[in-house]
Amino acid sequence: MDRWLLGLSTLLALVGGLSGLLQVRRGKRSRWTLAWMTSAFAVQLVFLTLRGQAREACPLADLGEILAFLAWSLTLFYLLVGPAYRISLMGVFTAPVVVVFQSLALLPGMMLADPQPVAGGNPWHETHSATSVLAYGALALAAVAGVMFLVLDHELKEHHLKSGWFRHLPPARELLTSLQRLLWIGMILLSIGVAAGLKMPRDASATPHLIAALFVWSAYLALLAVHKVRGIAGRLLSKCTVALFLLSLGVFAFV
Amino acid sequence: MELVCLGLNHQTAPVEVRERFAVPSSRLGEQARIVRETSGATEVVVISTCNRTEFFLASPEPAAVLAALEAGLLNACRADAELASHFYRHHRAEALHHLCRVVSGLDSMMLGETEVFGQVKQAYQAALESGTTSAVLNRAFQRAFAIGKKVRTETRIQEGATSVGNVAVELAGKIFGHLEDSEVMILGAGEMSRITAQNLRSRGARSIFVTNRSFERAVELATETGGLAVKFDEWQRTLERVDIVIASTGAPHFVLRREDLEAVRRARKFRPVFLIDIAVPRDIDPEVGTIDEVYLYDIDTLEQLAEEGRGRRRHQIEQCELLITREIDASTLPGI
Repeated sequence: MDRWLLGLSTLLALVGGLSGLLQVRRGKRSRWTLAWMTSAFAVQLVFLTLRGQAREACPLADLGEILAFLAWSLTLFYLLVGPAYRISLMGVFTAPVVVVFQSLALLPGMMLADPQPVAGGNPWHETHSATSVLAYGALALAAVAGVMFLVLDHELKEHHLKSGWFRHLPPARELLTSLQRLLWIGMILLSIGVAAGLKMPRDASATPHLIAALFVWSAYLALLAVHKVRGIAGRLLSKCTVALFLLSLGVFAFV
Repeated sequence: MELVCLGLNHQTAPVEVRERFAVPSSRLGEQARIVRETSGATEVVVISTCNRTEFFLASPEPAAVLAALEAGLLNACRADAELASHFYRHHRAEALHHLCRVVSGLDSMMLGETEVFGQVKQAYQAALESGTTSAVLNRAFQRAFAIGKKVRTETRIQEGATSVGNVAVELAGKIFGHLEDSEVMILGAGEMSRITAQNLRSRGARSIFVTNRSFERAVELATETGGLAVKFDEWQRTLERVDIVIASTGAPHFVLRREDLEAVRRARKFRPVFLIDIAVPRDIDPEVGTIDEVYLYDIDTLEQLAEEGRGRRRHQIEQCELLITREIDASTLPGI
């Protein structure tokens, strides 16, 4: 049942992304993407609720659940940030990332078919997992905003002003503002997650994970510090945001 | 009862002829009353803009009314009969089609412009208040406004900028969004700079700095645009704070070089900057455009973009005409 729900949510995000893409290619605004993504979010919520009830804890016990939670967090931030900044085209860029995360979660072996309650739950552990994944949702959306900026920057630099992308992308300065805010939100949540991780009981096998988390946290902190103190060009900031997000995903996939 | 139209516009008459028949917007209602009395028409609306003067009439005897109107106009303007060759006449559905083309901006000098819609609405309102409209013109104008709105929303006739100034403003909007937080510097007080700066100002640009080799000329333009004059040897310092630079000096060499911008990048905290070079020879070294946060556009690029915008609008004409014809065919209106 829960796998079907995750599949349905993936399908809704896919339709939202594709319909938005087709609209943009026709030179029109992707009006329905927000509705498709809201539906995908609602189904994600039902999925996570069912898994949470089965786990009797936050559903972050296997890789599939982590990826699904991450996709939910990304969609949540899109719904919170996207319409508020009137950057509806963000849905077209967000949907593919949600589809990729959830498709990976649906791969055989990623998610237990019969989830059991988590034994020996600890509030610090749950706080660490939940806020960290929420943080990555915000950081993923920052990376999405970064990709959008890079597309717009390329069109502006090369004087390609006829494309649907150009017409419907939000202004460069607004994109950078959204990106910076998302980075700060992600950083605050990640700091809470790391702090909770330091508090939670752990054995020696968790040390590489903790080091990786501290490394990622430091990298984001350095980026924000450089941006705040020295300033950084939008193109470089966007590239760093995308690279850091991919790097952090890679780090946690292997550590 | 028949709907008819008599008028002249920028395609049929030069400005020296058009100005003789122009009616001030404050007198449109009064003029409609005069035309109704002198021509014998039952209903009258007078439209007068810088590109056209048109009379929409409803009458059971259209031929006689049009002849009387034409004679009356020539007489009132003390014009020769040969000026009548500048007039065009439209009858019934053709007149309504013409009205729809006018409100849609298809008959305008600047294809797809939106101002004419408001001007026709104002003319109709004046006639309505003067009591010179009734069933035929009320229905015809309401229908034309509805069709005009449909043309603008269902086609792309008003999309894209069609002049250098508008392209610059559109690009500034794409880079900065609202211009309320943006500051502009004008390098060289030429005519194009003035127009572009005024366009940016009208879109809300916060402040304008003007610099010119002749400081008096800078002060003059600064006063005109509500800006601040800056001495020519101090413009590099102003570059630290502005978001948009419009360059149009008469210098035979580059005025803004890569090193000028490199020198202020840190102070600017690498914020985006939009450079508009409308000078020939160019004022801004193309090398500046390779800096990450710089968006550089020269006059050729802006003109090319404006021409593309005009071309896109021209491609929309057929679609607009089809829509108007379809809508008129589906209408049952008196006098058509």
